[in-house]
Amino acid sequence: MMPPRTSLKRRLTLWLVVIVAGLGTLLLIEAYTSARKAADRAMDGQLEAASLTIAESLQWPEGNPTLEMPASALQILATRWQERVFYWLQADNGTTITQNADLPITAAMRAEARQHPVYLDAIHDGQPIRLSGREVDSAGWDTQEPVQLWVGHTRHGRDLLARELFRKSATRFAAMVLITAALVGIAMHTMLAPLRRLRQALRERRAEENSPLMLDVPREMQELVETLNRLFADQRHHRDALLRFIADASHQLKTPLAGLQSTSELALTSNEPGVWHQALVTVHDSAGRTSRLAGQMLSLTRLQHLGPLHERQPLALDRLMREITVDWADRQDSRDHDLGLAIEAPAPVWVEGESWALRELLNNLIDNAFRYTPPGSEITLALRGDDAWVTLAIEDDGPGVDAESLDRLTRPFERGHRQDTHGSGLGLAIADSIAVRHGSRLQVSNRTPRGLRVCLRLPRCQPPGGSAG
Amino acid sequence: MTGRLHFGLGLLVSLCLGVGSSGAARGDQRLVIEAALDRQIVEPVLAAFAAENPQIDLDYRDRSTLEVDRRARDPESPPDVVISSAMPWQLALSNDGMAQPLDAPEADQWPAWAKWRNEVFGFTFEPVVMAYRLELASHMPPPETHRDLLDLLTRYRQWLDGRVVSYSPRKSGVGYTLFQQDARYTPRAWDLIAAMGAANVDLEATTQRMLEGLSDGRYWLGYNLLGSYAMVWAQTHPDIIVQVPNDYSLVMMRMAFVHRDAPHPEVAKRFVSFLLSQRGQHILAGQTPLFSVRDDVIGPYTAQRLRDQVGDHLYPIPINATLLAFVDPLRRQSFLRRWDRELQILEPPEP
Repeated sequence: MMPPRTSLKRRLTLWLVVIVAGLGTLLLIEAYTSARKAADRAMDGQLEAASLTIAESLQWPEGNPTLEMPASALQILATRWQERVFYWLQADNGTTITQNADLPITAAMRAEARQHPVYLDAIHDGQPIRLSGREVDSAGWDTQEPVQLWVGHTRHGRDLLARELFRKSATRFAAMVLITAALVGIAMHTMLAPLRRLRQALRERRAEENSPLMLDVPREMQELVETLNRLFADQRHHRDALLRFIADASHQLKTPLAGLQSTSELALTSNEPGVWHQALVTVHDSAGRTSRLAGQMLSLTRLQHLGPLHERQPLALDRLMREITVDWADRQDSRDHDLGLAIEAPAPVWVEGESWALRELLNNLIDNAFRYTPPGSEITLALRGDDAWVTLAIEDDGPGVDAESLDRLTRPFERGHRQDTHGSGLGLAIADSIAVRHGSRLQVSNRTPRGLRVCLRLPRCQPPGGSAG
Repeated sequence: MTGRLHFGLGLLVSLCLGVGSSGAARGDQRLVIEAALDRQIVEPVLAAFAAENPQIDLDYRDRSTLEVDRRARDPESPPDVVISSAMPWQLALSNDGMAQPLDAPEADQWPAWAKWRNEVFGFTFEPVVMAYRLELASHMPPPETHRDLLDLLTRYRQWLDGRVVSYSPRKSGVGYTLFQQDARYTPRAWDLIAAMGAANVDLEATTQRMLEGLSDGRYWLGYNLLGSYAMVWAQTHPDIIVQVPNDYSLVMMRMAFVHRDAPHPEVAKRFVSFLLSQRGQHILAGQTPLFSVRDDVIGPYTAQRLRDQVGDHLYPIPINATLLAFVDPLRRQSFLRRWDRELQILEPPEP
């Protein structure tokens, strides 16, 4: 058994962690910046209030700007966090009106403040501060000159506020993560429950049990269960076929063995050497047939249990057919029949195949035709086709078989209700196995007006060495 | 010649250093305090601190408020601890980043209304009072409120002409703060100033000078004296009566902080913590007239006892950013301008 390489749970957890970490980082950065912004928004109001209060007190009594610094403005600036407060007032002609610190105010900042009130961060005295600047128009009897008014304070309260806001969002986020983790945990447990049920059901099955699984599973798993059930059905069919084969084989072997027993028993009751001799001849024939039967069974089993094809190579099918036809024509068995060969395809016909298997196939087909046709029948081995496919066929003008037996002829021990031959009933089964090994099936059909036709289609292939046939 | 002199000096210096480092611990543990607080008044506190920390070499420099402010801003030789009664200036020093926060349990427990940014601490509770000579009472009803004072100045101007004394807002930071605060509470303060001007008020830089003048007989009536000094003075000068105004009485607080660039920050923090501690405040309440701020201290001079005696019309000068407005040069100028104007506004009486 393969060691489990991945765990669903672990993978889900990993994904969750990656997503939460990535998303969390982004969210926390966003939360931090928006917390700072919110704190600044809230506290910039104080800057505005303070600077408006100061602007209100600005006066030009004798052509010179003067200001009685309003105490409340500084208290507003200081806020309840007791910030350090800064202010800086300058007339547009460059004369400083009053200031309590050398604020880092640049020409660019002043130019901007001339347009509209500005709020910005700066560093003063090594400390980050928040500044607000605005231009105030003030009228006097002698002069009318705008004044730039800058106020600022340290960021202690803003930092506290931002930290507070950030802590709240971070806490919310952490709670969300925990809830999600719990939900995912529960979901994972629930989702995997059908899998566990299936495992339980499979574990409880006995080896020979192959009835379909009856399980209530989600739609996504239904397919898996159906596939399993199909597998069980296949197993069942296979097993049935095997059992039938064994039963048939036993039966087939039992008949000749019973014949041998009765023949030998009969001979043993006699003292006549002639009778003995006759019995021995019978025994010899019967043993020969039985041995052949056993050989065919063996070959069928072997064909069905052979591994994948590895000896397939291009071979000239027409040449092979000619060889075998000549071979059969010389045999004793063919004296009563008329065996012919019809090559009606562009020769040579190259197909991919195992030479021994195709030879066995042809032999079985011809042997079969000889056995199941009356003497004098005409048997034709034909090869027809075009540039891509060829059809190998054997045709006779014998009695044929009844329609309902046609499909079963390729099963082992199926003789089409014919008991009058010594055939084992395995010939077509073997041939079909070989056809399957070559990616084809045997097709059995009756001919008109009479006779039987067995054929299979094979794809042509490139001739070896690349020379086109 | 000069080279040899330098060599000699260098040798001398290194010898001194060598002796200093190998000698007693006194050398390292110096503590420089720049204070606008009479040494003789605060001496019991200093003595107690010195007794608890014999290794510390206490360098207490008693100066005027404005001089203390100047020294605290001198980057060349920063003091360790700055104490002053000029509250706005102390707050401005803190606002300019000259103070460092005090991280001590005493500082954390200190009442919020008596500290700023955990850097500057008001550690005394000194009422601002009126004082008059006993013989004044034989000529007129003695003043108990600000209104009484105004009435006296108006009605008995001939008697009081040249015999009234008060703080100079120009020469004293405390005086300036007190008049600013008076003017903040009610605009009628200006009437009082104008009346004092009409009575040819004399302006002194310290409470001490005012008390001396009263005892000499130069002055009959003093306004805005520091109660701490006046009460001690009155104990030995029975002809001087100290009156805590019955309508409202300002309360001034001495403020102390550890300087940002304190050369001996640890010792400095220990000293300020001592000032705020129960023991330090206990000495303050028992052996000085400075009045302890803490509620848990018992003694003749405590804020609580003072409240019990004079009622709840004590108005401590608030320790917050509003004080910073007082040190704004423009505001100070405009205040002093108005001060001068108000002093002259009433025609002196016909001779």
